[in-house]
Amino acid sequence: MNESTSIPPLISSTTPIATPSLSLQEPRPLGDDPAERAAISNTFVAIEAVLRHPRRLLFQLRQPGAGKLIAAMIFASVICSLIYGVVVGTFSGGGQLWIAPVKIAMGLVISAAICLPSLYIFTCLSGSQARLVEVCGLLAALLLLMTILLIGFAPVAWIFSESTESVAWMGTLHLGFWLVATLFGARFLKAGFFHANARSQVGVNVWIVIFMLVALQMTTALRPMLGKSATFFPVEKKFFVGHWADCLKAAPAAPKDRAAE
Amino acid sequence: MQIQSGTQRPGVAEIATLLRGEAEPISHWSEQWSTRRLALHVGVIIVGAGCYGAAMGWWREPEQAWFTAIKFPLVILLTAAGNALINGMLAPLLGLNVPFRQSLAAILISLTIAAAILGAFSPLIGFLVWNAPPMSRQAVFGPVYNLIKLTHVAAIAFAGTAGNVRLLQLLTRLAGSRAVAFRVLLAWLGGNLFLGSQLSWILRPFIGSPVLPVEFLRATALHGNFYESVLGSVLQIFKE
Repeated sequence: MNESTSIPPLISSTTPIATPSLSLQEPRPLGDDPAERAAISNTFVAIEAVLRHPRRLLFQLRQPGAGKLIAAMIFASVICSLIYGVVVGTFSGGGQLWIAPVKIAMGLVISAAICLPSLYIFTCLSGSQARLVEVCGLLAALLLLMTILLIGFAPVAWIFSESTESVAWMGTLHLGFWLVATLFGARFLKAGFFHANARSQVGVNVWIVIFMLVALQMTTALRPMLGKSATFFPVEKKFFVGHWADCLKAAPAAPKDRAAE
Repeated sequence: MQIQSGTQRPGVAEIATLLRGEAEPISHWSEQWSTRRLALHVGVIIVGAGCYGAAMGWWREPEQAWFTAIKFPLVILLTAAGNALINGMLAPLLGLNVPFRQSLAAILISLTIAAAILGAFSPLIGFLVWNAPPMSRQAVFGPVYNLIKLTHVAAIAFAGTAGNVRLLQLLTRLAGSRAVAFRVLLAWLGGNLFLGSQLSWILRPFIGSPVLPVEFLRATALHGNFYESVLGSVLQIFKE
């Protein structure tokens, strides 16, 4: 055997082999890699950046003129949520094919708007130097990452929609996908905080809990997204825990076209 | 870190500096009296506490929202103004030798921080109230009222704590001694809580009651006081 073709060494556990990560232990300042300094010219580049080059996105959010990038990310988030909403609507069909996307997109944007002021407060209280524009950008990136991942789950959700009649099961499935997507979005947000010199992550963790509670309540406030209803908005006000309890008490295999409460 | 000196015009970005608790600019601002800065701080208190008050009163009726939006900042500002003299005197007596205007500026800074936090929480409170069933006799004895009440307690306690933590940091820097700063903070807190409780009693209601009409002030606003009421309740327990 040729000695020069000996077995290659095992890859060291400290050798990075993945794309630039959002490790909270990584001390490198943003923009030290020339690739991070390349401007993000359009929405598709922003989508690629949020998935594969998050540090590039974080750096670009600090540059002058980040407003256009933020607007593009919000626009893409709305489009992605509309697409996922169509998949949600296929469970019941009919009017839900347009009602569910509208409600999901509306709920997403309103939840973000409600939570943005408290995010800025927690940012400042943690000692971060992030400006309001940058905080808006981090939130827009969280929404973009969330909705892109939901698009990724959409084929799976559609298959289950076509093969089950249980509202409770489909609701749980969609919530599970949403939870996974939100956690990845939250991870990006925390990395943004870290790079903005936040002294503590407690504030952003609390905010993430608040955001999730608001989003969960929004799904109840805008119900039904699965199932049908005579009115666009619900007549009765409920908190989401009560609504879930009511759904679980209902018949286990509720027909698709039974009017939801 | 950008340090805004007292010669720069105060702006909204200054509020972020207050929230971050950047010691050097904040202590500089407390030393340099500026009418513009005073107006900014009072404006933040009015807007922030006003928005929170509106969210608080909205559950009863929109009219109550307007009333509470006016009364909540009023309680804060009247407390600061009512205790200004005594707070200004207590500071040097307890070891913090600062002029009267600097004492007032320090207290206003902490109230501005608390009001900014409350203002940021007001959309969340508004959303909570919007999702709650309408206020009714049944609702106020149920879990919804308790949830709303506890949420208010948590939000106001958080805002107040954050404001006082920043105030303690400022006082420590001014006094050069944590013990002195703590003494002064406790004295100021004691006085503000004492007067603030009574002002809240006079200016009630803030949330409102389903069995009482919506009014700016109760007819009995100036009859009795908060501490008489608490003492009466305690004595009632023992009588029974």
